[in-house]
Amino acid sequence: MSITDEELAAFADDELDGERNAAVAKAVADDPALARKVDQHRALRAKLGDHFAPVLEDEVPTHLKDLLEPKDRVVDFARAKEAKRKGDGIRWGWIAAPALAASLALAVFLPRGSGVPEGYANADLAEALDTQLVASQGTDTSTRILLSFQRDDGKYCRAFSSSDSSGIACRDETGWALVEEAGGTAVKSGEFRQAGNTQQDLLERAQEMASGPALDADAERAAMETGWSRD
Amino acid sequence: MLDLLPRLRRFAIGLTGNAPDGDDLCQVTIERALNNRDKWAAGSRLDSWMYRIMRNAWIDETRAVSRRGQTFVAEEAGLSVGGDGGQEAAVELSNVGRALGKLPEDQREAVLLVMVEGYAYKEAAEIVGCPVGTLNSRLVRGRDALLALLEDAA
Repeated sequence: MSITDEELAAFADDELDGERNAAVAKAVADDPALARKVDQHRALRAKLGDHFAPVLEDEVPTHLKDLLEPKDRVVDFARAKEAKRKGDGIRWGWIAAPALAASLALAVFLPRGSGVPEGYANADLAEALDTQLVASQGTDTSTRILLSFQRDDGKYCRAFSSSDSSGIACRDETGWALVEEAGGTAVKSGEFRQAGNTQQDLLERAQEMASGPALDADAERAAMETGWSRD
Repeated sequence: MLDLLPRLRRFAIGLTGNAPDGDDLCQVTIERALNNRDKWAAGSRLDSWMYRIMRNAWIDETRAVSRRGQTFVAEEAGLSVGGDGGQEAAVELSNVGRALGKLPEDQREAVLLVMVEGYAYKEAAEIVGCPVGTLNSRLVRGRDALLALLEDAA
């Protein structure tokens, strides 16, 4: 039986079909010269593999990864701040996905409470701020929490948005102090709307105020369990 | 696509022979892929599609610029440095790179796709756009050339 170089290489690569594979295997077993060639082929493959293995271990250069970074993706807040310190342009993207750009929020109007100190969240809003978690809030709540973070002084703050108001509130001894207020995103009850510029502005403001990354789901839950007070 | 990057880089560095050119090739490939993303048939293999874009980009590049003689200068320089066993190993590794660099493009890509990237002949042939038999014979010629080159170097 004659075996071509192509066949022998294909055999070394496990590329031959059953019958032919068996025939070549037998020939190789009977002929030390052929067996040596097969070994050479396999050794070469191993050598090439070793040669290039370090490339897979390398960190992929960031400029390549950045090409694939979707613009509205959640990225590391701390990194964004770092980039800002270095004077790089910040790309707005670290915010929790449900809150932003393409997200649709169902806005339902509910009457507001009253009788709270000036500059503090009313009862309805305070309840939302106290109890809603970004990760688990429903889509039908009147107030949506956009994200939570810790300010430089350690106080917990939360950006929120509802049909008639939006802003950032930080928790102190009195309650939820409204440190930023912006217009509502009023729409007719039950209509979908796209998150707009108001939210974008708020989130940028939050980014400036925050001391570190936005709280993730676990950190947010932990903060809620302590009543949004430090330590 | 992000998960594919390390492998794409490996192929790019194999094709170009060095990391800086490889990363440039990666960048061109990613940009082309993003611009043509609507041409990718959902359900087909993304990796094969990206490899095809990359090898086409590399062919365009080599047509535009002759890089012969420009690559592997660093390794040449490295060869003249004597040293202990560790360095010998490094030289041996770079011998592989040097040998690959001496192969014709069509043999080199066949060798890289099958023996480094681990594609089956049929898959590699689809990436390159040639019949399986052609790929098989390019592969054999490339391997024999590599073995001869590496034996000389040893």
